[in-house]
Amino acid sequence: MYLNDFEYFAPQTSAEALSLAARLGSKAKILAGGTDLLIMMKEKILKPECLININDIQEFKTISYVPGQGAVIGAAVKISALEHDSLIKDKYFALHQAAGELGSAQVRAMATVGGNSCHASPAAETPPPLAALGARVVICSSAGEKEMPVEKFILGNRKTALGEGELLTKFILPEPAPRSASRYAYIGLRDAMEIDAVNMAVNLVLEEDCRTVKNLKLVMGSVSPVPLVAEKIPGILIGKELTDELLAQAAQAACDEAKPISDIRASAEYRREMVAVLTRRVLKQAFHAAAGLKEA
Amino acid sequence: MGNPNFTQVGRSVPRVDGPAKVKGEAIYTDDMVLPRMAYGKIKRSPYAHALIKKIDYSKALALPGVLTVITGEEAPNKWGIVPQTANEVALAVGKVRYHNEGVAAVAAIDEETAEAALDLIEVEYEPLPVLLDPQESMRRANEVKIHDDAPENILHSGDQLFGDPDQAFAACTYILEREFHTSYVNHAFLEPQTALASYDVQNDKLQLWSSTQVPHYLHRQLSIVMEMPMNKIRVTVPAVGGAFGGKGEASPADFCAALLSRKTGRPVKVTYERSEVFATNKGRHPCQIKMKIGLNKDGYIQAVDFDNTMDGGAYAGWGMVVMFYTASMIHLPYKVPNAHARVRRVYTNKPTCGAMRGLGGIQPRYAMECMLDEMAEMMGVSAYELKMKNAVESGYRSVSNLHVPHSEYKKCLQTAVEKSGYLEKHGKLPFGKGIGLAGGYYISGTAYTLYQAYKPHTTVLIRVDTEGGVTVHCAAAEIGQGCNTVMAQMAAEALGIRFEDVHVVSGDTELGTFDLGSFASRLTYAAGAAIKEAAAEINLKLKETAAGMVGCRADQLEIKDGRFCSIFEPRKNIEWEKVVDLYTNSVGTLVGTGHFSPPRLKGIDLTRGKRVQGANIGHSPTFGFSSQVWEVDVDLETGKIRVERVTEAGDCGQAVNPMSVDGQVEGSIMFAMGQALYEEMKVDDQGKMINASLHDYKVPTAMELPEMNTTIVDSYDPTAPFGVKESGEGPVQPTIPAITNAIYDAIGVRFTELPITPEKVLQALKEKNSR
Repeated sequence: MYLNDFEYFAPQTSAEALSLAARLGSKAKILAGGTDLLIMMKEKILKPECLININDIQEFKTISYVPGQGAVIGAAVKISALEHDSLIKDKYFALHQAAGELGSAQVRAMATVGGNSCHASPAAETPPPLAALGARVVICSSAGEKEMPVEKFILGNRKTALGEGELLTKFILPEPAPRSASRYAYIGLRDAMEIDAVNMAVNLVLEEDCRTVKNLKLVMGSVSPVPLVAEKIPGILIGKELTDELLAQAAQAACDEAKPISDIRASAEYRREMVAVLTRRVLKQAFHAAAGLKEA
Repeated sequence: MGNPNFTQVGRSVPRVDGPAKVKGEAIYTDDMVLPRMAYGKIKRSPYAHALIKKIDYSKALALPGVLTVITGEEAPNKWGIVPQTANEVALAVGKVRYHNEGVAAVAAIDEETAEAALDLIEVEYEPLPVLLDPQESMRRANEVKIHDDAPENILHSGDQLFGDPDQAFAACTYILEREFHTSYVNHAFLEPQTALASYDVQNDKLQLWSSTQVPHYLHRQLSIVMEMPMNKIRVTVPAVGGAFGGKGEASPADFCAALLSRKTGRPVKVTYERSEVFATNKGRHPCQIKMKIGLNKDGYIQAVDFDNTMDGGAYAGWGMVVMFYTASMIHLPYKVPNAHARVRRVYTNKPTCGAMRGLGGIQPRYAMECMLDEMAEMMGVSAYELKMKNAVESGYRSVSNLHVPHSEYKKCLQTAVEKSGYLEKHGKLPFGKGIGLAGGYYISGTAYTLYQAYKPHTTVLIRVDTEGGVTVHCAAAEIGQGCNTVMAQMAAEALGIRFEDVHVVSGDTELGTFDLGSFASRLTYAAGAAIKEAAAEINLKLKETAAGMVGCRADQLEIKDGRFCSIFEPRKNIEWEKVVDLYTNSVGTLVGTGHFSPPRLKGIDLTRGKRVQGANIGHSPTFGFSSQVWEVDVDLETGKIRVERVTEAGDCGQAVNPMSVDGQVEGSIMFAMGQALYEEMKVDDQGKMINASLHDYKVPTAMELPEMNTTIVDSYDPTAPFGVKESGEGPVQPTIPAITNAIYDAIGVRFTELPITPEKVLQALKEKNSR
């Protein structure tokens, strides 16, 4: 359970961090919360020669919001900060919910939102709501900056689009549309400290009548190596009012698209069924919230 | 509640060990560091069943900082908690029988070096076929043998016949037969096993600090493995972070620390990782139970037939004892006039099963309480009525000669049923919501020592002087169950002083007088009896002194609230301390000793008056009882079970510390609920555990906690010291069947396999709908 020997860097600015990342390349791992990285090092799955701690860099640790434009969340923002931020709760409710379900209180106090995406676990909590809310990641290197949607950033189990010398520095979330609401739900054996068998987030926008679906994005987690954006559901629901029949169709579509596996936590068959249940539930909840109704 | 004349017993007081533990100041074995201390680590087998062909540790020895390496051949004496079946060794000799069994151990100047050295030990194995299921293990015994001396791969089996069940069944109106499968669970105590040994090479003495709950049995096993006389070994128990039976036998950590210390001449500490806790297990036996119950037309139980195949894992451990406990547990808490039990404990290539809170009771109780629920339905009566009708009363003697001196079981059933509204709710809640009832009991100590000896099971020495006040010496183990607090309360009660003024010295085989250990819910009763006897000796002597001081006869004095008072002339009284002062000045330090030996009850078939093999197990000086009503809410779409509320009522005799009883009951509820709904150790097809962490092995969290409404029913066992019984293992008994019965009430499915997971619930609902 001991870590290998490594060289430790604690850059104070993003420029320093980027130059270190460029210089050290694949020899270095970024230390954000460390709640996944250090465990993998203790279990000898990873033996990095260098660690770059990005927790001293102030701009990576802030949440900012400009009305009408949206929010920017630094990569090293702690999950607990996300969970307790009133703006996130108010504007990006699904992200607030997912943050509150990640690990234990101790883990949430250390873990970061950037780390949760960069670790790229298929069961991760925050990527589905980030993707559903239209978040884009900002990737920096000494050569410059680029942006991409979260669901394009995560490429597979423990695989991301990060290249050598690149850092995920922040997430950009668009201003929520009027009459929109987002919701997150998961299936796990326990109600705390759970690794989700299935999780899901939806962001749903209603027309001015507060009944007709104007737009939506539903993203499933833990049923594919990457956060899976439901492709057919928008076609089923946009322009329609939510009925039980349409909810059933949407649930079936999500089921058909999910690619679950059987593992220690659940069988593929059970996961697939739970995709249908969660799809109905999050859509209903988001609909009620967007319409300003009391939640069902 | 209980005896109204008591002032110290029956007082709810915070535990004496509580504040230090809560503040993180308690010193556990792993917190200890000694000068020149080295660190030990154990090399473990990647095979679940294999011959060891060769071990080469030359490279490990060459690593700077490594002090020594040991292998099994250096200490091949077999140890085991049950002497008749002792078959474990400190480190494997010639063969490994479960995945991650220890094959060598290293001592190094620091933990990191010790860990690095493990990778340098080269072990050559010849893999053998791996047997993981007890049925398969018995079937393939002629082809694969786990132990040479167990030709059928069976540790032990038993056949116990009482009365004439065949004839009784023939006359029954209602007969039900069911099969149950229970799960493979671990205690999940917080503190992994840890041992610190310091061998004095000049005097050939060994001091061991260990996270054990049985300092005496560990003492004995160390003597065997180390080939040292017991009087050269001292075992000390620092603060222990939970045990629940899992530390109820020695662990290889103890032996490896001791052997490495002797070999290096330095103190050596060995602390397990969580994965090693799972690998060495000693948790609950998975049981494959076939049970048959017969009732007459009025619902009185006529006969029980019990067949139990137990998956014991690789070694003997507590196995034979647990096996006979499962057989004994069918005789209570209901009157069973005829019974037949056939039980066998089978070896497999998995981490060994052993003692776990409520051992031997959980599995047959699950079967019996669920079946009685079903039989009540067959008869068209409530389960409450059926259970009340058959419940045992004070003075009952079972056909197997178990004697119940005192029982408030009916009061437990009645209280839980009334407080929960069971009769109003059962069968009437909306689909998906349910309520279930179950009962249970447990022993308050045993009748025999594990090695057949006549010596008392507990000795207490009370020392009184002007300097230390009152000190109670007893080598009992405080493992978090609160024995140091209740021993002080009982001593204070017996001496007529305040509990705050009593010191307890426990957990040390040299400073404390003899005690068997913390298991079988024996300690409050046993220590209570010994304390009473020791205090009587002290009181007698002090009364003689006090009588002269106040001017009355010694036998006319009573001691109350710290004063000696004449019974007939209350104005003649004097402070307790002044009497002690005079006694000490004139005679010197005062000591009193007391012993406890339980009644040596025999397991006989009362209808024939014949001894029955193994039926001595299960006898106890008295028994605690408990009843629980659980309410559940099943999510019909996900299969997830939400436990909403539990209403419990328990007969623990006189509660010595009601606050502690509440803690035991609430802890029991969470503990057993884990096995019912969440916990299960899983191994792959090669016997490797795939969830050997508290990340993947799911114990319930505070979020799963149901609303708890617990009641200590008014009870006092007049045959027991201070009227006491157990309270730490009885309340785990009803939980699993009560939850299962509640799930049946909710969705109409009777689950006979644990744990009851959402997937199983959903599958069962589908099967039900397709019928």
